[in-house]
Amino acid sequence: MAFVNWLKRNLVVLAGLLTLGYLLLPNVVVTVFSFNAPKGRFNYEWQRFSTNAWKDPCGVSGMCGSLSLSLQIAVWATIGATTLGTMIAFALVRYRFRARGAVNALIFLPMAMPEVVMAASLLTLFLNMGARLGFWTILIAHIMFCLSFVVTAVKARVMSMDPRLEQAAQDLYAGPAQTFLRVTLPIAAPGIAAGALLAFALSFDDFIITNFNAGSTVTFPMFVWGSAQRGTPVQINVIGTAMFVVAVLLVLASMAVGNRRTKQKAQALVGS
Amino acid sequence: MTTDNSGDVRLCGISKTYGSFTAVHPLDLTVPQGSFFALLGASGCGKTTTLRMIAGLEEPTTGTVLLGDQEVTHLPPYKRPVNTVFQSYALFPHLDVFENVAFGLRRRGIKSVRKQVEEMLELVQLGEQARKKPHQLSGGQQQRVAVARALINHPKVLLLDEPLGALDLKLRRQMQLELKRIQTEVGITFVHVTHDQEEAMTMADTVAVMNAGRVEQLGSPTDLYENPRTTFVANFLGTSNLIEAEIDSAAGGDIVLKAGGGKLVLPRARCSAPATTGGKVLVGVRPEKISLTHADEAGGIPEGRNRITGRIVDSSFIGVSTQYVVDSPVCPRFEVYAQNIDRDPRLVPGAEVVLHWNPAHTFGLDAAQDIDAGVGTAEEEGA
Repeated sequence: MAFVNWLKRNLVVLAGLLTLGYLLLPNVVVTVFSFNAPKGRFNYEWQRFSTNAWKDPCGVSGMCGSLSLSLQIAVWATIGATTLGTMIAFALVRYRFRARGAVNALIFLPMAMPEVVMAASLLTLFLNMGARLGFWTILIAHIMFCLSFVVTAVKARVMSMDPRLEQAAQDLYAGPAQTFLRVTLPIAAPGIAAGALLAFALSFDDFIITNFNAGSTVTFPMFVWGSAQRGTPVQINVIGTAMFVVAVLLVLASMAVGNRRTKQKAQALVGS
Repeated sequence: MTTDNSGDVRLCGISKTYGSFTAVHPLDLTVPQGSFFALLGASGCGKTTTLRMIAGLEEPTTGTVLLGDQEVTHLPPYKRPVNTVFQSYALFPHLDVFENVAFGLRRRGIKSVRKQVEEMLELVQLGEQARKKPHQLSGGQQQRVAVARALINHPKVLLLDEPLGALDLKLRRQMQLELKRIQTEVGITFVHVTHDQEEAMTMADTVAVMNAGRVEQLGSPTDLYENPRTTFVANFLGTSNLIEAEIDSAAGGDIVLKAGGGKLVLPRARCSAPATTGGKVLVGVRPEKISLTHADEAGGIPEGRNRITGRIVDSSFIGVSTQYVVDSPVCPRFEVYAQNIDRDPRLVPGAEVVLHWNPAHTFGLDAAQDIDAGVGTAEEEGA
């Protein structure tokens, strides 16, 4: 009976912890196995603790080159998709034009299309146009599929913005450029940032579309896939863990900044 | 006082149409420098559109807008020497109070804003709140930030779009006085848009009552209240009792009218309808101008007063006065507000009474209008 009561009181916490464990377990495995010293070429069984891979992260030939290529593509795809996507989102929310409804619906089409079909069709398109497969075809493809996600994220934010704020800025002597820089952009920034992060993550990870349209170029996900057939170097886990740590640190830093602001505000409130 | 007219607002034939809908019919209006001018009307009457055309946020379909002697019809808002206090304030959420107020100065390239901003925040009593974000302030405080943000630019004209609409009643009364004080202090022309007739009458020197895209009547609050010229104005500003009557004779300074069995006298000067014998007019009288006397004492009513008989159907005591509804053959629901000085205990529902008033308080309107125009619109809007 006591146990049942305890369960009733703590069921929510328990369910929460289990779900969190479910989410984080793979990350734990990645991290733990980055400290493994495997026998043979496959990093699938725990042998003993070692920091060898961490000391020499680029020790596997070709891996760091593919990583740097993936990061470059992700950065450019993020910049391209965020710029275009933000403009599309503003156009869709703020202006009434012919075919606005159609554009609104068509923007979501790439998200709904099965990725592998999209990838094969893109290859057909590139081949028919006589494009040389490589960095540029990958970048064009990435900007294309990131665009829908950026538009969705930014649109949600712009829709909640009061158009009177921009009118107020104009009323207070801000020309169109100043209004955009001083009022529109700062207020839309959280939506744009969310869209950009999403674009970065999607581009960095993408395997299917990239694999079809890369030619002989090898991105990081393609490298991991390729090496998994011949053996998995521990360095892959090192890169994975490092990215995870960077992401966590970024989140912690932004939370710290937010907390400091709230504290300052609280102090301002007490002081007044 | 001064011959400076740079704060005059002159609208010449301005109109605004959206497709087939006409929001504002061609309108001529002059707001003199330094005055507190109110545009009063129910929602959709074109008052906000008119204000936005002065601000430059809406381009007029026809006509011109002049500020002083400068034509600004096609100038964008950021080039006009006017500032606006927006409905629900439109404060910049990402900037603190100080930066909100400094926004206009900074955009005009003024480097040292600190002193001016601090002085302005003192004027609106928000010196302590300078570093707070707008969402941390109460409604009344936000409203004062909006006023400070506009006034700091020393505009020629300050435009206020329902500035008190989001505040509760008590705060609204307080802010009405506050705004009036600030206007007197800075001496800038204020153009104020509101649907609240009491607000317009309390604050403005001149009120323009708008209805369906047209100015129905323009004048001082007293003039509008005492001498309404249309049924809309008579009903929208306060309450009016309107009786349809026939002109019996129109000789000399007074018009004699037949209503029901009795006769009523109306000063010719207070009749805005053409006075031809046999024609119809609507006779109006405000509820507080009427005295109630029990039918038994009708003999004591002095000669020369307009009188109507009826029966009380309802009475409600509201402290300073008692409001009666009287059913009379000439008007089904006659409203009478009586001061509670010497209350006659016989004046209860069912009592036969005589309503009487000084003919000088009677006004006459054109009978061709809708007798109920403007009834209830003010209340709906306030809800």
